[in-house]
Amino acid sequence: MIVQGTFTFAGPRATVWELLQNPDVLVKALPGAKRLVRAGEDRYEGLMKVGVGPVTAADFALTVSLRDKVPPERYTMEVDSKGTLGFTRGGARVELEALADRVTLMRYTAELQVGGKIASVGQRLLDQVAKLMTRQALEALNQELRARLAERGSP
Amino acid sequence: MKPAPFEYHRPGTLDEALVLMAARAGEARPLAGGQSLIPAMNFRLARPAALVDLNRVAELAYVRPADGGLRIGAMARQRAVERSPVVQRVTPLLAEAMPFIAHLQIRNRGTVGGSLAHADPAAELPAVMLALDARLEARSSSGARTIAATAFFTGLFGTALAPDELLVEIALPPLPPASGTAFVEVARRHGDYALAGAAVVVTLDGRGRCRDARMALLSVGAGPVLATEAMKVCVGESPSDEMLRAAGETAATRDVDPPSDIHASAAYRRRLVAVLTRRALARAVERATQVS
Repeated sequence: MIVQGTFTFAGPRATVWELLQNPDVLVKALPGAKRLVRAGEDRYEGLMKVGVGPVTAADFALTVSLRDKVPPERYTMEVDSKGTLGFTRGGARVELEALADRVTLMRYTAELQVGGKIASVGQRLLDQVAKLMTRQALEALNQELRARLAERGSP
Repeated sequence: MKPAPFEYHRPGTLDEALVLMAARAGEARPLAGGQSLIPAMNFRLARPAALVDLNRVAELAYVRPADGGLRIGAMARQRAVERSPVVQRVTPLLAEAMPFIAHLQIRNRGTVGGSLAHADPAAELPAVMLALDARLEARSSSGARTIAATAFFTGLFGTALAPDELLVEIALPPLPPASGTAFVEVARRHGDYALAGAAVVVTLDGRGRCRDARMALLSVGAGPVLATEAMKVCVGESPSDEMLRAAGETAATRDVDPPSDIHASAAYRRRLVAVLTRRALARAVERATQVS
């Protein structure tokens, strides 16, 4: 499954980059994330509780590693998750472009493999779920970005 | 396959059911026809702590004409609605859509309210309710409220219902005079989840122009989609091949962002939206012309 899209952040590129590398911020933005801690250089481990519609939320163990980092322009994020309902494996290429002083465009392309029960039963819904979770995460990040900028007292 | 353990409650009246839903808000799930919830529980995808079985709540199973329109109890079986002469006369769109829902055996058990509260993006009934501008009545132990279909569906399996609320009734307004309706869908096999579908209501004015047009699409978004841009293309226009085509293209390009899955790509679904919208609209216009 390929998930790709763009998202416009209301802040400068350097700040967006900072947020994207900060596990304390990501844990708040990722839908259902309960914990995300540094487990090494550019490597994070955590726990997500995910459920959609009729599916009762279930735990997924999560590892995230970042590579090919070119701050503050682009990086590749590899994500593995595993739980009783199934697993996901894959990576996302993320690019940030400064469109204006406080406007940053993100382009992302993720290639995900999904397996286990969620894939066999929920195949027709995976695309929608991935889109929904991506959108929720990016909107939460943008929210956090706005809050931080406001705190710094910038206009 | 067996479900995870759960508590089972079988109230005999709506009031009892509402008390149970309030006592276990967020943990109890109402059981209607069970055609989606039970398989999900057997796969252990759904693990509700408690079920409130509504099948003995007889007061919720009815279909009756009211104020020129129709009132349907949430526990009315889909098959009962399909075979109801009143439904065929008052809301032919609903009657036309019913046979597309899964298979006959499933419609024998499946309920109208269950399908709406489940809000599967590929389901027929949510789109039909959007097209008909239905009003959905929700009840909880603390009161009742009416929710417009446009506000009821909130995204992927999402509804405006609170955890302790039950959908109890669907009110369908009468069709205005000189109206026609049509339902079309494409599935790989009959009874499969639709790849795309369209429910359309058209009302003509005295000079044969579209006074109003409502189109709802299914299986091409996170929930049912009201094709508001395509609707604007039609209003005030005399139905012509150009108008039908323009409405279809507008729906496909401006109203939907369809998903890709192993059954159909997003691009293919977009083409289906263009074609099905045009076909349903043409059929609805033809029917409106016959009654005006």
